[in-house]
Amino acid sequence: MKLFKVLTMLIATIVLPHSVFADVTFSGYGSIIAGKTFGTVDDPLNPGETRDEILTADFYDVGQYDNDIKFTPESLFALQALVDLGDDLKFTAQLVAKGTDDFEPEFDWYYLTYQVNDSWSVMAGRRNIPMYYYSEFSEVGYAYPWMRPPSNLYWWQVTQFNGFHASYDFELGDYSNNLTFFYGNENSYDNKEMLFYDELFGGNARSVDEFWSDILGFNWSIAGDDFEVRFVYFQNDRDRTTTAQDGTETDSVPFDQQFLGVGGYYNFNQFTFLFDWNQVEYDDAVGTEYPTYLVSLVYNIDDFQPYVVYSKADHEQTKTAAATKDLEEHYVLGFGVRYNFHPSASFKIQYDKFVEQGEESTGWAYHGDARALALGIDFIF
Amino acid sequence: MEKIQPKRNKPEKLIGLIFASLFIFISNIAFAEIAVIVHPENSSSLDKKAIKKIFMGKTKKFANGNVILPMNASKGAPSRDNFNELAIGRTTAQVNAYWSKLVFTGKGTMPRELTSDAEIIATVSANKGAISYVDASAVTDAVKVIATY
Repeated sequence: MKLFKVLTMLIATIVLPHSVFADVTFSGYGSIIAGKTFGTVDDPLNPGETRDEILTADFYDVGQYDNDIKFTPESLFALQALVDLGDDLKFTAQLVAKGTDDFEPEFDWYYLTYQVNDSWSVMAGRRNIPMYYYSEFSEVGYAYPWMRPPSNLYWWQVTQFNGFHASYDFELGDYSNNLTFFYGNENSYDNKEMLFYDELFGGNARSVDEFWSDILGFNWSIAGDDFEVRFVYFQNDRDRTTTAQDGTETDSVPFDQQFLGVGGYYNFNQFTFLFDWNQVEYDDAVGTEYPTYLVSLVYNIDDFQPYVVYSKADHEQTKTAAATKDLEEHYVLGFGVRYNFHPSASFKIQYDKFVEQGEESTGWAYHGDARALALGIDFIF
Repeated sequence: MEKIQPKRNKPEKLIGLIFASLFIFISNIAFAEIAVIVHPENSSSLDKKAIKKIFMGKTKKFANGNVILPMNASKGAPSRDNFNELAIGRTTAQVNAYWSKLVFTGKGTMPRELTSDAEIIATVSANKGAISYVDASAVTDAVKVIATY
């Protein structure tokens, strides 16, 4: 990963001085959000004890709300620089500062884009993996009606990768189509989410490294006047190394992962219907599967967008002796409203009900029920 | 041991109240006529569907191969709100949300913003690939009107 970062930066520094008059455009986005949960639950991992209800608003960055009002789980700021190098070549970098990282800025995105012709473009660099429909712009709160894309679906410990994309735009009948093929790798050293789980389940690891390699797949989106449908498929290898306090390394058994999905939206009259259905499968010994989906209805009335969103996540084993459908399982039902009070900023308020449906005896029902209220402002500039 | 019922707040009621009050807002907006303009020498024939595709970043070149330079009125300008409502069929906030998804994933560059109808006309009359819109009353001979809303 380091080598890739160095290479990308190197290419940028070689190219940049030759274009002193390069056109640089700055833009950005941000969210200032506060929230809290209400009440306590029996601690699923410590029977007999109670704790605050916890709503995980961001799994990857471990952004969680509890009974105290918090600003850090979802607030963030991002600054994007787009350098037009001329001759259809562009360099983009995004510096992101998240509340979950004490607002310490990091380059989350950096890539080169080359527009080959009107139909083809290629990108090389670091960006989000186009997994779920909202994955690529999951942190751009201004881009969607809700407070966040339903967090109980966006639960993966890896969200970005270093890779290459080839994108092809074409018309089919009256519909705009885009086909994007992608390939890349991600070595996530000292993975925050995995270390969090290690501690949650009583572990004492120094670090957990997560490796997603040979990520290979495509997106196909079809858009008309009132709708968009996007298909996704990718596969990759998964490896994990856990390092104990004494430095002993333990490798998990590697396996292949397949990711399949279809999502999009449909506008009718003043309503927008949004959906995303996904299936993740491992070729591991127990036949792990993660079927998930979300449905949402938004009512657009002038500058107000009241909405309801339901998301369901499931985790099953299909190859074990006692194949079970009752491992990690939960749904989130959210109600809220987005108010576009300014051309570049919106106010949102959302109430969420997280319902734990996992089987407690399996140890996978570790979330517990939660009810949370969050409100804040998303903006772009 | 007797289990103590956790104390539960009732945020549901407050939410219901907020929702109810929101539905009271209904406004009537009067639209001024909007003219879509290009360079006088631009002979491309563009219908309203094609104009919509250009301003949503889906069409990047004219039929003759020239790169299209779409330009917006400034944020908050009435002509921009009117154009978005009439030509794209969405509110300015919805159009901006659509673009923010493209801009921050490297899939598009939002149309450049110009400050006034006069600046828009000056810029369009000087750029063969330019396309923009102004209040119909501001149109001059320096540009060609290809559609009105």
